[in-house]
Amino acid sequence: MLKIGISGVRGIVGTSMTPTLVMDFASAFGAYLDRKPVVLGRDTRLHGPMLRSACVSALLSSGCDVIDLGVCPTPIIQKTIRRFKAGGGLAITAGHNDIQWNALTFLGPDGASLNPFQGQEVLDHYHLGSFDKAKTDDLGRLSTPAADEFVGPYFKELAAFVDAAAIRAARFKVIVDACSGAAAPFLSRFAESIGLDLIPINNEPNGFFPHDPEPRPRNAAQTVSVLKAIGAEAGFLFSSDAGRVSLVSETAEALSEEFTFPLIAKAILGRRPGPVVTTYSTSRMIEDVAWAYECPLIRTRVGPAHVFLAVGQEEAVLAGEGSGAVAVPAFQSAFDAFLSTALVLETMARTGKRLSALVGELPRYHIVKEKVYCPTSRIHGVLGGLAKSFQGRDIDTGDGLRAEDKGGWVQVRTSGTEPMLRIISEDKSKARARAKVDKILQAIELMI
Amino acid sequence: MKKSATLKISISGARGIVGDSLTPQLAATLAQAFGTYVGGGPVLIGRDARASGIMLSEAVIAGLLAVGCRPIDVGILPIPSFLFLTKATKSAGGIAVTASHNPKPWNGLKFISRDGLYLTPQQTEEYLDIYHQGAFDFIPPEKYKSVQVLEDAGEAHLRRLLSRFDTAAVRRRKFRIALDCNNGAGAPLAPRFLRELGCEVIPLYCEPNGEFAHDPEPTAENIPDVCAAVKSARADIGFVQDADADRLAVVDEKGRPIGEELTLVLAARHVLNKTKGSVVCNLSSTRALDDIAAARGVKLFRTKIGEINVVEKLLSVKPKAVIGGEGNGGVIDPEIHPCRDSFAAMGLILEALAAHRGPVSSLVRSLPRYCLLKDRIEGSAERAHRLIALLKKRYEKAGTVNLLDGLKVEFPDHWIHVRPSNTEPIIRVLCEARTEAGARKVLEALKTEISACLKKI
Repeated sequence: MLKIGISGVRGIVGTSMTPTLVMDFASAFGAYLDRKPVVLGRDTRLHGPMLRSACVSALLSSGCDVIDLGVCPTPIIQKTIRRFKAGGGLAITAGHNDIQWNALTFLGPDGASLNPFQGQEVLDHYHLGSFDKAKTDDLGRLSTPAADEFVGPYFKELAAFVDAAAIRAARFKVIVDACSGAAAPFLSRFAESIGLDLIPINNEPNGFFPHDPEPRPRNAAQTVSVLKAIGAEAGFLFSSDAGRVSLVSETAEALSEEFTFPLIAKAILGRRPGPVVTTYSTSRMIEDVAWAYECPLIRTRVGPAHVFLAVGQEEAVLAGEGSGAVAVPAFQSAFDAFLSTALVLETMARTGKRLSALVGELPRYHIVKEKVYCPTSRIHGVLGGLAKSFQGRDIDTGDGLRAEDKGGWVQVRTSGTEPMLRIISEDKSKARARAKVDKILQAIELMI
Repeated sequence: MKKSATLKISISGARGIVGDSLTPQLAATLAQAFGTYVGGGPVLIGRDARASGIMLSEAVIAGLLAVGCRPIDVGILPIPSFLFLTKATKSAGGIAVTASHNPKPWNGLKFISRDGLYLTPQQTEEYLDIYHQGAFDFIPPEKYKSVQVLEDAGEAHLRRLLSRFDTAAVRRRKFRIALDCNNGAGAPLAPRFLRELGCEVIPLYCEPNGEFAHDPEPTAENIPDVCAAVKSARADIGFVQDADADRLAVVDEKGRPIGEELTLVLAARHVLNKTKGSVVCNLSSTRALDDIAAARGVKLFRTKIGEINVVEKLLSVKPKAVIGGEGNGGVIDPEIHPCRDSFAAMGLILEALAAHRGPVSSLVRSLPRYCLLKDRIEGSAERAHRLIALLKKRYEKAGTVNLLDGLKVEFPDHWIHVRPSNTEPIIRVLCEARTEAGARKVLEALKTEISACLKKI
C-alpha cells in the first residue's frame, strides 16, 4: 500500500515502504533543496529508525547537512526548521494512521508543508530519478543537537505566545494521552511551561500504540475512565505526531474532534479577526463562528499543502480541519496540538467557564462520517456515477463532490492516505445527515 | 581505451566511487541481500575513517532493519577489531564500510560471516544470488528491531591483545614509539594500545578523519615522515598502519624502513621461538619464511594471493598453524583471531624486541637476507593468462613451476612470480634473490622477456 502525493509519501512498511523507496524520495527532496541543510525528526513507530537511516543517508549523499532531532513532535520539528535557519525539514510520521504505516512529509524553510507547486517539484525529481550525488568532500554532515537546543526554546516561545499567566493562575488539572507518540517524552516540559498539573497517560514512547492514533471519541476510552476516576478539568488526546488533538470535557464526555477548531476560533478571532482557512470536509460550526466575528472563510481541498497555500495567499489568521488540526499562523504555519491545548485552556482561564459550557455555546450540527473501500482504479468511475445522482444540485468539485442544501451538506472524496472513499454529511437533523450518507453508500455499492 | 568500471561487486565485497557509482540505494540493497542471507539476527556495522562512512553506514542500517536484522553500530573501528568483535559478540554477521587502501573518493562494503571471517567465494556467490534476484525477506512493520550503538567497541579486541602478550616484559622497556595511523581507522585505538603496553607514543596523523596524510600503501617511499620522527625523537621503533589497520610497516631506530616484507618474518620468527606449529603465507611472500620454518623444523604452506585464501588454509592445516600472513605487512596471529591484524603484529614485534635486548636494526640483521622486488606491467587479465601459458613452456625445464596463482618458478638462489592483479588491469611481476643486484638483474631480464612475449600475443 503506497500513496505518493505532493505532501510526501505514505505507505505500509515492509511491502511498499522499503529503504530504497524512502531513499529515492529523500534524494528527490535533497535535489529540490540544492544542498541546503535539513531538519529531520520522527515519531515513535518501531520502523522509524529504518526510515530515519534511509533519509539521513540519502540526504547526506545529496550534499545536504542533516540536523537529526530524533523522536520529536512534528510542530517542534517545524519550529526548529526556522530556529536553525534550515532549507527545509522532513517529518517521519504517519500521524493518525495506524502502526503499520509510516510516511515522509516534506516541510519548507518556514516550517509549513510544501505547497502544491513545491511538492510537485520534488515529485518531478523523484519521477525523473534526477538526484544530486555529492562527491566525498561535498557530502553533507550529520549533527544531533540536544533537546535543550530546540525543545526548550519551543516551549518558551509557546508560553510567550499564549496567556501563560492566566493559565498558570487557574492551576488546571488535565489529562493528556500522548498515544505513546512523539509528544510522550516532552509532556512534563509542556506542563512546566504553562503551569499545568498534567497527568500523562500512554506516555511511554515505545512504538506500540495503545489505541488508534487518531484523536476522536472512539479512541478516548482510557482518557475518559482516568478522568472519571481522578477528576480533571479537561482531557486531551494527541495524534502520534502531536499535530491533532481532540477533547474530553470535565464531565467525562468525549467530544467530537470537530469541536477543537471552532472552540479555538472563538478565542483567536475574538482578539484578532481575519481570514480563516478550512477544508471542504470541516463542520459548519466554523462557518457560524467566522460569521459571528465577520471573518471571511476560505475552503480548500483536504491536506496541509492546500490549506497552507491558502493561508499564505489570504494572509489568514487561523487555519484548521475537522480532524482536530488547528494552526495559528502568527505562531507558525503548522498544525500543533500543544498550541491548541494551550489555547483551549487559555479560553477556560480567561472566561472562567468549564469546557462543557464552552462547547455548549457552539452551534450543534450532526456530522456523519463513513468510509468505504474502493480500488484506486475504480475511483474515477464511481465519482462520475455519483455526480449524476447529485444532479440538480449545486455541486462543488474542489475536493471530490460536495453539495449543500438547506439543512447542511454532503461530500464524497477520495482518502489522501488509503484506497477509500470518505463520505461526510452534516445537518441540523441527525436523521437527515444519516439518510444522505446511506443513500450515497448504496449508490457506491451498486457500482462496485 | 575502454572506460574502467567505477563499481566492483566481487568476492572481496563491493567497491565504488562515492558521488558516482556507490549510492545509498546500492548500499541498502546490498545490505538487504546480506541480511536476508544471514537470516536476521544481530549484525555488526563498522566503518573506517573515510568521510563517506556515515552516509553508507546509515544506508546499510536501513537495509538491515528492513529485513529483520538487529544492527549493532560500532562506529569507526580497525578492521581486525571489527572481525574479532563479530565473532566475540556471536553476531549473525558483519558489514564493514571500508575501501582499505583505495584513494579517498572510493568506499566499499565488506561482508563478514558469523565466524568473523570474510565471506568465502562460495558464500559470496550465494549471497550475490539473493542480490541479483532481488529476493529480500522484508519483514512486517510490527517485527522491526531496534538499532544498538556500541560505545568503545575496540575494548574487547584490546583486552584480548593485552592478555596475549608478555605485557610486563614490554612495559619494563618503556619503548619510545613513533606511530603513523595515516588518519585511518587505527587512529582511535592504536595509541591507546601502545600506551597500555607502557610505551611512550609520538603520534603522527592520529586523527580518524579519513584525510590521508600520505599514500595509504605503507611502502618505504610513502612513509618519510615517520622515519624523520623516529630520528628526531630518538624513538626505539616506528610503526605505520594502513588505512583500515590490518597491515603494518616497521621503521628501525635509525629511521630506516625495514621493508614491509619483513614485518611478517619478524613476527613469525618470534612466534616460532615460543611455540612450534605450521606457518601459512601466500605464494609471493619472502623465502626468509621458508628458512626460519626449516630452521625450527616446522612446515610452511603457501596459498593463492588473497587474505581469505591464507586464512582458510591456516584454519585447516595440520600440524596446527601458529602464524600466518602476507608479504605486504599483513600478520595473522590465530591466537587472537584469524585475520590480518596490525595490532597483533605490533604486540609480537615489541615482545620480540623486549626479549632481544638490542635495537630493532640488530634484530633485523639476524634475519635471513633476501631482496624482493615488485613491479607491474599494463595488461588485462586475458593477456596475462596467455602470457603465463607462454612463459610456462619456457620455464618448465629450468626450475620448479607452480601454477596455483599465475606462474611461480623457483630456482636454487631466486624465484620469479608473474600473475594478473585481482583488482586492476595489470600484470604483477615479482622476484626475489639473495642480493639487490641479483634481484635487479633477474627482474630486468624477466621484464624484457615479458615485453617480447606480449608483442607476440
